[in-house]
Amino acid sequence: MLASKAFELIKELSRGNSGSLSPYNEDCIRQVLDEMKSLYEQNQKDVSDTVAGETGLFSGVQVRHAALERNKRCLLTYLYKRLQIIQEMRWEFGSVLPMDIRYNMCEQEISWFNRYNKMLAVYMRSIGDSGLDLTQDMQPPKSLYIEVRCLKDHGEFETQDGNIIVLKRNNQHFLLRSECEHLIRQGVLEHVTN
Amino acid sequence: MLVKDPKKEFYDKIQHQRVLILVTFDVDALCACNILQYLFQCDQVLYTVVPVTGKQDLENSFLENSEGIKHILMLNCGATIDIIELLQPDDDVCFYICDSHRPVDVHNVYNGVQVKLLMKDEEMRDIPDYDDVFRDDEDDESDAESNDEGEQLSKRKRYSDEYILKRRERRQWEENRNKTLFEYTQFSSFGSSAALLMFEIAWRMSKDTNDLVWLGIIGVTDQLVHYRISREKYIEDVMTLQSHVSRHNFKEGPENNQPINSLKISFEDELQLTLYRHWSLFESICKSVTTACKFKVWSMKGRKRLHEFLAEMGLPLIQCQQKYSAMEPSLRNNVKELIQKHIEKYGFAPEDIVIPSFNAQYGYRNKLCASDVVLACCALLESPQEKSQNATDSFFQAMDILNRKNTKEMEEALNMAKKQIGALASQVQTFLDMQQVMSAGPFLYAFVQEGTLEAKCLSKPQCLQRLARFTLEAYSAERRSKKTQYLPLVLGVPLDAEQQTSLVIGIPPLNLDDERKNFFGKAFEQAAVTTNSRTLHNYFDNYILQMNTEDRGKFFDALINLLQVSLSLSLSLSLSLSAFICASP
Repeated sequence: MLASKAFELIKELSRGNSGSLSPYNEDCIRQVLDEMKSLYEQNQKDVSDTVAGETGLFSGVQVRHAALERNKRCLLTYLYKRLQIIQEMRWEFGSVLPMDIRYNMCEQEISWFNRYNKMLAVYMRSIGDSGLDLTQDMQPPKSLYIEVRCLKDHGEFETQDGNIIVLKRNNQHFLLRSECEHLIRQGVLEHVTN
Repeated sequence: MLVKDPKKEFYDKIQHQRVLILVTFDVDALCACNILQYLFQCDQVLYTVVPVTGKQDLENSFLENSEGIKHILMLNCGATIDIIELLQPDDDVCFYICDSHRPVDVHNVYNGVQVKLLMKDEEMRDIPDYDDVFRDDEDDESDAESNDEGEQLSKRKRYSDEYILKRRERRQWEENRNKTLFEYTQFSSFGSSAALLMFEIAWRMSKDTNDLVWLGIIGVTDQLVHYRISREKYIEDVMTLQSHVSRHNFKEGPENNQPINSLKISFEDELQLTLYRHWSLFESICKSVTTACKFKVWSMKGRKRLHEFLAEMGLPLIQCQQKYSAMEPSLRNNVKELIQKHIEKYGFAPEDIVIPSFNAQYGYRNKLCASDVVLACCALLESPQEKSQNATDSFFQAMDILNRKNTKEMEEALNMAKKQIGALASQVQTFLDMQQVMSAGPFLYAFVQEGTLEAKCLSKPQCLQRLARFTLEAYSAERRSKKTQYLPLVLGVPLDAEQQTSLVIGIPPLNLDDERKNFFGKAFEQAAVTTNSRTLHNYFDNYILQMNTEDRGKFFDALINLLQVSLSLSLSLSLSLSAFICASP
């Protein structure tokens, strides 16, 4: 059936759960492109036959053209949706993506990601005097400081104001949220919620 | 130096500074720490909380964490030791000590710059005068010593009269000093709870909330549960807290207007039955110290008397052995009145069975009594650890259950407390059945057998304290003779089978109950020194020590000698022991 492969791509997109990127389905895309190419060639042939004087081919051309349009729309949707996912991931994971996600991206997507990174960095540097990390607080924080508990012996940790804190298992500290956020992500600290 | 105005001299000083908080392992300190954390979070004071188990741990934690920190707060630790001498801090480091342990070391009292004591003024009356303990004429001494060398014989002759006078005066002063210091330090006792003090600081700054009052209540109750303060002192503190409670819990309008998920604290007379709301009434009566000892539940006759008592109250046995919360409501609601009414016949005074206390209710769950929380928290704090775990793990678990939102953890902790109390009661029963409580003349002693199941969960200081008291009360109830009232008890429990160590505690006799003064700290110290025993005085409570099990024999011989000597000379231990002389023929 015409355009069935393209539809498969869309179904694959909708199957993928949010927050993960399925592998770039190059095989399927090439098949769709091949199909489009043959459709186009056939249309060309029919059109040139019509110009030569043959009649009764128009309905065929129209069907093929509609299929072409559909294929195109599906392909673009597929690519665009993937870009959107990658963009979201930039805000979630930061400028360096985990290996398994990178592995699922095609070459063009990687170069797009790098350019997006660069643009974002330039923009964030231009805010205020010394720049502002927009990805830091995705939701407005409730307090500037949070209470954290050390889960492992981490060693010394220098805060922004130059103090040195020893992060040792089972000590509890009251620290600047922005400073300990990455330590919480690493699993060194635990946020104590009251 | 004693802090007169905590807000000005303590709280304002630490604003915008990093503070290191050293907290010891007891429920009172835990509550005080929780209150402080709340205050510091309000004012965005940066802090680090480090739990410390003993003096050694205190030293290590200080060394590790003190970098760049100028303000150090100590909760229930540090007052009894010369903190500057022990830690050797830089000159600009300031210590704030909030400790209920008494007596406070005189060096701490008279250090005006680096040591600030957060304590109640009226509790610090009996401190020796500065001139009695310290002398500023140190150069005289060095003069005297250089004279002693004997080179300036002629000079010495010339000043001999003056010199001799000076020396005599000095010797007298020294004698006097030793006497004053000895009198001052011979008894260890306890002052106001740290949590209560912290709460009062919060209150002065108008930052007190209902939750903070509850923490203060738990701190004070902890002192009562672990026999640190007398009943009078407890009631005095409770009355102070009661006014705060009524201030916070009074709402205008009909009562059902209050949201159910707010904390409600109520003041009422509470039955002194351990955890009875979470246990069955029968179990609770058998395992609470006073009821168990009065009924002597470990004997057949005692059991019968207990059954008789229950029958007289009209409580069916089946109902009593059921979970309290599953008892028939009509009976359950009357339990307190019934017990109060009928118990006098069995030799109880009314104050034996009820004590003013507080209840907290949060949401639809069971009511929690202050002593329930203390016991649960303590059980968690002193839970036996696996090899991989650190003692500090349990510290923060215990801190978490003080937060009222963790109801599930609280229930688990209550179950642990039940287990601990069960072990305690069965150990007391073993002591009595096997007649393991012996008299050594001036004191009683008992040892938990090595390798028993209970030993593991009993070998913790707070639990040991309760066990010792339970044993002593049970023993004297069993013996009947008045003499046991005048005998203190020393109790040991194996700590580590591989290293051959045990934990030893000494508690004062029952007749001195009102003072809650313990003279074993000094006695243990001296006995250890004279016999060269391998002991470790690591705990902040100096009447608890670790010792090598092999040295037990000679240590006890020395202890007997020591107490007998002080008995015959009726020296300074006389206060407790002269009473004993009168009693013994």
